[in-house]
Amino acid sequence: MSAAIDFLALMIPAMVPFLLAAQGTVISGRTGVFNVSQEGLMVLGASVGFLVSFKVESNTAGLVAAAAIGGVFGLILAYMTTMLRLDQFVVGLALYFASLGLGTLLYRAVVGVTLEPPLIPTLGQYAIPGLSSIPFFGPVLFDHDLVVYFAFILSFGLYWFMYRTNAGLRFRSVGESPKSADSLGINVISTRMWAGVAGGALMAMAGAYLPMVYTGTFTEGMVGGRGWLVIALAFLGGWRPQYVVAGAAFFAGMEVLALRAQVAGIGIPHQFVLMLPYVATLVVMMFAFRWARQPKYLGLNYNRESRLSG
Amino acid sequence: MDLLVWTVLPYVLSVVAAFAVGALVILALGHDPVRALESVLTTSFSTKFGIVETLHKWVPTVLCALAFTIPLATGKFNIGAEGQLLVGATAGVAVGIVWSDLPMVALLPAVLVAGVLAGVLWAGVAAFLLVRFGVNEILSTVLLNFVSFQIVDYVASHVWPDRGAGHPATIRVGDGALLPHFGAAPSVHLGVLITLVLCVVVAVAVRSTSMGFEMRAVGANLRASRVHGIRTSRMAGAGLVIGGGIAGLAGAIEVAGVHGKMLEGMSSNFLILGIIVGLLARGNNFAVLFVAFGISVLEVGASSMQRTAQVPAEVVLIIEALILIFVLLSDVLRARLRSSR
Repeated sequence: MSAAIDFLALMIPAMVPFLLAAQGTVISGRTGVFNVSQEGLMVLGASVGFLVSFKVESNTAGLVAAAAIGGVFGLILAYMTTMLRLDQFVVGLALYFASLGLGTLLYRAVVGVTLEPPLIPTLGQYAIPGLSSIPFFGPVLFDHDLVVYFAFILSFGLYWFMYRTNAGLRFRSVGESPKSADSLGINVISTRMWAGVAGGALMAMAGAYLPMVYTGTFTEGMVGGRGWLVIALAFLGGWRPQYVVAGAAFFAGMEVLALRAQVAGIGIPHQFVLMLPYVATLVVMMFAFRWARQPKYLGLNYNRESRLSG
Repeated sequence: MDLLVWTVLPYVLSVVAAFAVGALVILALGHDPVRALESVLTTSFSTKFGIVETLHKWVPTVLCALAFTIPLATGKFNIGAEGQLLVGATAGVAVGIVWSDLPMVALLPAVLVAGVLAGVLWAGVAAFLLVRFGVNEILSTVLLNFVSFQIVDYVASHVWPDRGAGHPATIRVGDGALLPHFGAAPSVHLGVLITLVLCVVVAVAVRSTSMGFEMRAVGANLRASRVHGIRTSRMAGAGLVIGGGIAGLAGAIEVAGVHGKMLEGMSSNFLILGIIVGLLARGNNFAVLFVAFGISVLEVGASSMQRTAQVPAEVVLIIEALILIFVLLSDVLRARLRSSR
C-alpha cells in the first residue's frame, strides 16, 4: 500500500510538465494552430525560468518570466500563420530551432562555464489543510507544490470552458470550420492569436517547472524529448483536456517506472528501461489513431478571401 | 535577370539580415561581433584543415537533408534522420567489428550496406505504422530518435565498450572498414564523392523517373493522384524508407570515414541541420548541395568561434533559424510586391 502511495505521489508532479505543455498544445490546436515547437519552448522556458528564479530569488517570478517569453514565441507563430499564412509546420520548426538555441545561449551567457552549477530552491510542498490528512488520497493528491494544483485546476477549467460554455463552443468552432465561424461573426484571427499566446506560455511554463522540481539547475538535455511526447499526448487525448489528463498520467507513470527500475536494478540494462516511454507511446499510437480525432482545420491556415479554405 | 532578382536576392537579403541580428546578439553578450563573425565565415577557407573539416561536416548534412527532402516530396515530414543515422552507424560499426579481419574489398561495402539497411529498417517502422495504422509520421520518426539514443548508449557501454575512452564509445572497427582518403594529411575521405554522386542521382531520379513523378504527384495533389491510380500511402511510405536508407548511409560513412568507431554525440545536430537545409532548399535536391555547404561553413566556423572568441556556438543556431524565418518572410513580401506591380 505504501509503495503504491509513493509511486502515485511521485507520479502526480511528474504529470505537471506534460499537463501544462499538452493543454497548451490543445488550446492552440483547437483553434487550428498546430504548434510543433514544444521541445524548444520547454528548453527556453527551463532556461529563462531558472535564470530569473536565480537572479530574483523567486520561483514565481521565474514561472511568470518563462510564460511571458513562451507567449511571445506563441504570438510569433500565430502571427506568421494567420496574418502571413506561412506553413504552420515549417514556421513551428524554425521557432523550435530558434528557441532551442536561445535557451542554451541565455544560460551560457548568464552563468558561463562553471564547475559547480548555481542552484535554486526547489518548489515547496503545500499540504491542503484537512484534505491532506485523508488516508491514501491525502498524500497522493493534496500534498504537493502549488504548480501541481494549478495544472489540475487549469485542466478542469479548460474542460469546463470548452464543453460547458457558449464561448467554448465558439472557440472550438474556429478549429473545426473557420469559414462558418467567421460567417457567425467570430473573429478567427484574434481567436487564433490568443490561443497561440496561451499555448506558448503554457509550454514554456512546463519547461520552467523542470528545474524547479527535479534538479534545481538547468542542464542542456533536461527536457529530453518531453516536448515531442507532448504532441503525441495531444493526439492520443483526441485534443480533449479531460483525456489529456489521463494520457499525462500514463506518460508520467512510464517515466517514474523507468526511473524506479533504473535505481532498483532489475537485471535489464537501464537503456532498455529508458526506451520504455517512447516505445510504449508508439504502441499506444497504433491503436489510438483509429479513434482519436483531431480538429478538422488543425495545421491549416484560414484565408478569408479564398473559396477553397474553410 | 528576373530569376536572379526573385530567387537569389531574397536569400542574400535574408542571410545578411540574420547575420545583422546575430551581430547584435554577440554585441549584447559583450563580445566583438566583427571578430566573431569573421571567424565564423573564414575558418572553413583559411586552412586546409578547415576545408577538410567543412567537407566532412557537409557529407552527413547533405545526406540528412536528402533524408528530409525525399519524403517531403510526398508531403511527409521525416524528423527521424538522427535516429536513422545512429542505427546506421550502429549497424556499420557492428559489421566492422565482427568481421574486422576481412579485406577492404569485402568489408567496406558490407559496412555501408549495413548502414543503409539499418536506416531502411528504422524508417520502415515509421512507414509501416503510417501505412498500416495511420500513425502520424512526424511523431513516430521523432520518437524512434529517442529509442536510438538508448541503443547507441547500450552498444557503446555494454556490447563493444572501449573502457579507456572516457565517455561511451565502441572499440575501433577493422582497418578494412575504413574509407580511403585522398591526398596528404589532413585528407578528405571517399564519402564526399559518394555523397556528391548520390545527391545527383537522387535529384535526377526524383525529377525524371516515373516513381519520382508519382512521389511528387502525391505531395502536390493527394486527391488527384489517388484518382489516377497512384497508391498514395505506399508512395509516402516509400519516400520515408528511401530517406531512412540515406540517413543510415550517413551514419555508416561517419563511422567508416571520420571516427573509425561509434561514440555518443557523433550525431551532433545533423538532424536540425538537415531540416534547415531541406527547408532552405525548398525540397530542391540540387540546391541541397549548395545550401548544405553554406551551413557546414557556418557550423565549422561556429565551433572555432567558441574556441577562439568564447562566443557560444548557439549563436550560429539562432542565425540559421533566423535565415530560415527571413526566407519564409521573403515569400510573403515577394507575393505582395508582385501583386502590386
